[in-house]
Amino acid sequence: MRVLLVTGKGGVGKTTHALAAALGAAAHGHRVFVLSADPAHSLGDSLGRSVGARATEIAPHVVAREVNAQEELDRSWSEIQRWLRALLRDGADDLVAEELLVFPGLEELMALRAVREVEATGEFDVCVVDCAPTGSTLRMLRFPDALRIFMQNFFELERRGARLLRPLVARTHAGRLLPREEFFDAVERLYGEVEDVRQILLDEARTTARLVLNPARVVVDETRRAYAYLCLYGVATDALIVNRVMPAEAGAGWFGKWAAKERAELEEIRASFALPLLQAPLRSHEVRGEAELRALAEAVYAGRDPAERFAEARPIRITRAAGRARIEIDLPGASKEEVEVTARGDELFVRVRDAARRIALPASLAGRSVRSARLEAGRLRIELGP
Amino acid sequence: MSITRLRARASPAVAAGDTLRVVRVVLYTGKGGVGKTTTAAATAAHAAARGARALVLSADPAHSLGDVLGERLGPEPRRLAAALRGAPRGLSLHAAEIDARFAMERHWGAVRDWLVAVFRYQGIDETVAEELALLPGAEELAALLAVEEHARGGAFDVVVVDCAPTGSALRLLALPDLARGAFRVLLRVQQMLASVVTPLARSVLAAPLPDAAVFRDAEALIFRRLLRLRRLVSGAQTSVRLVVTPERMVIDEALRAHTDLALFDLRCDAVVMNRLLPEAAAHEPFFQDWSRVQAERVAEVEERFAPLPVLRAPLREDEVIGLARLAEHGAELFAGREPDALLAPPERLRFAKDAAGYRLELPLPHADPGAVEVAKREGALFVAAGGVRRSLPLPRPLARAALGSARLAEGLLVVRFVPEAGG
Repeated sequence: MRVLLVTGKGGVGKTTHALAAALGAAAHGHRVFVLSADPAHSLGDSLGRSVGARATEIAPHVVAREVNAQEELDRSWSEIQRWLRALLRDGADDLVAEELLVFPGLEELMALRAVREVEATGEFDVCVVDCAPTGSTLRMLRFPDALRIFMQNFFELERRGARLLRPLVARTHAGRLLPREEFFDAVERLYGEVEDVRQILLDEARTTARLVLNPARVVVDETRRAYAYLCLYGVATDALIVNRVMPAEAGAGWFGKWAAKERAELEEIRASFALPLLQAPLRSHEVRGEAELRALAEAVYAGRDPAERFAEARPIRITRAAGRARIEIDLPGASKEEVEVTARGDELFVRVRDAARRIALPASLAGRSVRSARLEAGRLRIELGP
Repeated sequence: MSITRLRARASPAVAAGDTLRVVRVVLYTGKGGVGKTTTAAATAAHAAARGARALVLSADPAHSLGDVLGERLGPEPRRLAAALRGAPRGLSLHAAEIDARFAMERHWGAVRDWLVAVFRYQGIDETVAEELALLPGAEELAALLAVEEHARGGAFDVVVVDCAPTGSALRLLALPDLARGAFRVLLRVQQMLASVVTPLARSVLAAPLPDAAVFRDAEALIFRRLLRLRRLVSGAQTSVRLVVTPERMVIDEALRAHTDLALFDLRCDAVVMNRLLPEAAAHEPFFQDWSRVQAERVAEVEERFAPLPVLRAPLREDEVIGLARLAEHGAELFAGREPDALLAPPERLRFAKDAAGYRLELPLPHADPGAVEVAKREGALFVAAGGVRRSLPLPRPLARAALGSARLAEGLLVVRFVPEAGG
C-alpha cells in the first residue's frame, strides 16, 4: 500500500491537498483511504459534509475517517484503560479518570496505529494521511523512538516488579491497583504495532511525504526546516505543493507588489529545494466540496497519478567499503553549528536544531566511534571508526 | 544522592514564587496559518512602543517568531534593539522561543532527579532530560513552566505568548489539570512498589528504590507547582485571544475552541480578525466574489463571538516582517485600545445565590444543548460538551447539595442545586 503524508505549516492547505490527492488517485483507479491525523480535524469542513471517527465513503473508491483518540481507546485499549481507571478511581471519580485517558501525544500515537489498520484490511492501494501542522507531525514521527526508549529502559523492570509483587499483595488494596499481566501484554502489543508502522513510514518505496507551502517567506523558512527534520526521521519527501500562487489577473492591481514578492519566493523555492514542484493557483473563493477538490487535483497533477512517486529519495544511507562504514543523511538547509553527532553503543545520536533522533545502527556497526562528521551541500556524512 | 538534592533545590523557589506579583499574560491561538505569530509579535511591539516592558514568547514547537521578527532567537529572552517612531527612549522589548529540553533542564531539575531515582534508571545519565522531553505532555509542561518563570519574575509588565494551533494550545492550557491526575497515577504505582517490597526489591531489582519520604516530597513539589500553573492560566491577569481569518474552516475551528476554553475555565477577551481584503483591492474583478463572502464572514464573527470585541487587521501588500512593521501593524490592530488591557469583562464560570438557592453559571458559547451532559459526584460537577470533559470542584456549600436542574440557553449553562434536607 502506498502511503502519502501530506504535511506543512498550519493553514497552508494540507487538508485541501490531501483530499485533492485522494480524489485524483481514485480517478486513476486506486482504492483510497484518507486518514485525518490532525486533532483539529477538518476533512468534514473541507468536504462540506461530516466525516467522523468511523470509516465513511466520501466518493466512489474513497473512504475517509478522522482518528479520535478517545474512541480508539474505548475500542481497542480496554486493558490499558481498565488499569488506569482502577487506579484513578481509587482516588478520584470515574469521570476524572475519563478526562485523564486522553493525554498529550495520544492522538499522534492513535494516528500511527490507524495507518497500520488500513494496511491490514488489504482493501486499499493508497492511504493519504492529512497530518497535523509541522510541530505535531514531527512529534508523531518521533513517537516510535520515544516508545522504544521506554520499552528498552523501563518496561521489563516494571513488568518484573509487578510479577514479583503480585503474589505478595494478591488480596490487598494495593494488589487491586497493580497492573495485571494483560496490561503489560497490551503495552507490548501496542509497541509491536507502532514498530510495524515505523517500518511502513521509513520505507521510501511505500511512503513519501508531500510538503504543502505558500510562496511567503515565513512559510518557506518553516518548510525548509520541516524538510530537514523529515529527512532526519528517515521519511522521504517526493514533492512540494506550492499552494495559493497568485494568478496574473489577481496580481495586476493592488496586489502588484505582493505578486512580485511571490515570484521572488518561487525562485527561491526552486533554488533551495531539490524537489519537484507542483503548483495550485489562488482562487477567488474557498476550495470546498468534492467537485472543487477534483478540479484542484486536475490543476495540480495535470493528468498524472497523485499516487506516483515524484522523486526517488532515501534520506538516510549506510554504505560499507573496505572495512569502513559511512552514514549519509540528507539535511537540506542545515548549517554546521546546528548539527551535533554522537555515537552511543548501538545508536547514533543526531541533533539538528531542536530536533534529535537516535538512529539504531546495524549490529555489525555497534560500538564504533564517530571518526568524522562533515556537512556539505546539505548532506551530513558520518565516517565510523573501526 | 539525587534524592537528597530534591528538597534543597525545590522548596525555596516554590515558597518565593507563591507571593510574587503575576503580570499580564496574553495568549494567542487559532487555526494554523491565520497569523498568530504576527499578531502576538505586533501586540508586544505595540505595547513596548507605549512604554510597557514587554516579552513575546513562542510556545509553538514549530517556531516562527524568529522568522517574523527577522532575528535569531533562543530560549533565553533576548532584547530587541530598535528605535521605533514615537516610542519612548529605552524601549523594552524581549523575545524568546521556548525549547522543551532547555526548560525541562532548568525548571524540572528536581523532579527529573526524582523521576530518575524512581524509575531506577541507570547508566547514560546525561541523556535523561532528553528522554523526559519525549514523555507525553512534557513539551507542554516545559512551555508552561517557561511562561510562568517570566510571568512571575518581575522583569516584564506583559508577557505575550504565541501558542501552537488550537488543538495543541488547548492541551497545553488544560495540562495542569490533567498532569495532576497523571502524576497521581504515577506516584501511586511507584509508591506502592516502594513501600510494599522495598527490602525485597532492593536485592532482586539490583537498583535503588526511594523511601516514603521522597514520595511525600515529590508529591508536595509536583502538586504545588501544578497548582501554581493552574492559577497562572486561569488567573484574572491571563486571557486568551482567538485569531481568525474570514474563512469558513477557520471560523468553525475558533468557535469550537471558544467553547473548549470556557469549559476549561479560561478567559477569552478578544477575537482578532486578520487578513481582511482592503477596500482598494475589493473592487478588482478577481476579488469581487471574495469580498462578498468576506462581508458575510465578518458579520458572522461579530455576531457569534459577541460580546467579545473583534479587532481587525487588513491583508497587507507584503508580509509583515521586522519590528518596525510589526509595531505599525499592532497600532492599526488595536486602533487606540490598550494592547495589554483586558478587552472584555470576565465572561466565565460563576457561582451565585438567589431566592431559589445556589446556581452555577458556565458559559459554553457554541455548545449544542443536546450534546451537553451534567453530573455531580461527591465534591465535583462534571460537564461534558462535545468531545471535551471537565470536572469543576464545587465550593463547600454546593459539594453537599444535590443537583437540581441544568439548562443551556444563549450559550450559558445554568446548573441549580438543591440544599440537602436538614443541611
